[in-house]
Amino acid sequence: MEKEVDGILVAAHELKAPLAVLRQLALSFDEMDVKGEHIRSEMISVSERAIKQVNDLAKIRRLEDGLFTMEPVAVREVCDAVSRELEYLFHYNRRDLYIKYTNRSRLVTANRDLLYSVIYNFLLNAMHYSGDETRAELIVRDVRDKVKVIIRDYGPSLPIDVWREMKRGFVAKPTSIAMRPGSSGLGLYIASKFSRYMNAGVGAVRHHDGTSFYVELPISRQASLFE
Amino acid sequence: MIFVIDDDEIMAECIARAAGVKVRIFTNAIEAMQEITSGVVPELIFLDILLDGPDGFTFLNELVSYEDTAKIPVIIVSSLDFDKKDLSAYGVVGVLNKDTMNPKEIKSYVKEYTK
Repeated sequence: MEKEVDGILVAAHELKAPLAVLRQLALSFDEMDVKGEHIRSEMISVSERAIKQVNDLAKIRRLEDGLFTMEPVAVREVCDAVSRELEYLFHYNRRDLYIKYTNRSRLVTANRDLLYSVIYNFLLNAMHYSGDETRAELIVRDVRDKVKVIIRDYGPSLPIDVWREMKRGFVAKPTSIAMRPGSSGLGLYIASKFSRYMNAGVGAVRHHDGTSFYVELPISRQASLFE
Repeated sequence: MIFVIDDDEIMAECIARAAGVKVRIFTNAIEAMQEITSGVVPELIFLDILLDGPDGFTFLNELVSYEDTAKIPVIIVSSLDFDKKDLSAYGVVGVLNKDTMNPKEIKSYVKEYTK
């Protein structure tokens, strides 16, 4: 019970942050001499991220009901959609996103919505931790009978205890002390939950100059009929 | 010149807009400290506490440990509750709660602590 409350507190703190930013942005209109188009874009971006996070948390509860069907999913299409959605944010934060697809297998067995959230959370995390004027990388490649989606950042290395948790394939709860500084790890927790539901492997690789997170998805048998 | 140190760049820009004076924004304490060490001493610092890398208190400890930076006034800007805490030993002259602060309060601190 205590752990659950701890997780709720961390989630509440993380979800409160965008509301405080939105409030400040609204108040900023008075400070602007011009039309405030820039502020409007920021408000939309901040609120969309907050909505997505709330939706993801709601989805975690719905996982128990088994409401997300597994189906053949075009992994590159999902990666493209996520990177398009985050394009504004990367640009705004002066980060580049490097994308490289070498996978021959186009379809994986997954749930599109959940896979979208996993990649979205990993990419958002990578953007946050990459320094100014650096890049995050989104790489998709085949690894035996799976497709591996790797998201690499050039920020601080992941603490070893979190890495161990990821190695076991599961982050038990969001926590403010176990994650990299400044993060509640809520995104990682969400990605971990969704990956587990999809029977996808999830993990992290520590580098001396950053961290890679990955999700490994089984190649769809339906796809093999066409290849 | 004033410094705003906040890992949320949008929040930092809101503070900078409200301040209405020359502002340098830093998203982590290390870069801000390096700038100060290089000789750029701000008149006032708006400081978030939960930062990427060293947190706000680590920064404050560093700041008060040097004679030439110990007296730089610092306003804490955080969603944590510091209302009843006496932080004057850290050079903290004010606390703004991110959930309730408004541009007038920011302006007021800027007016009070800058020439």
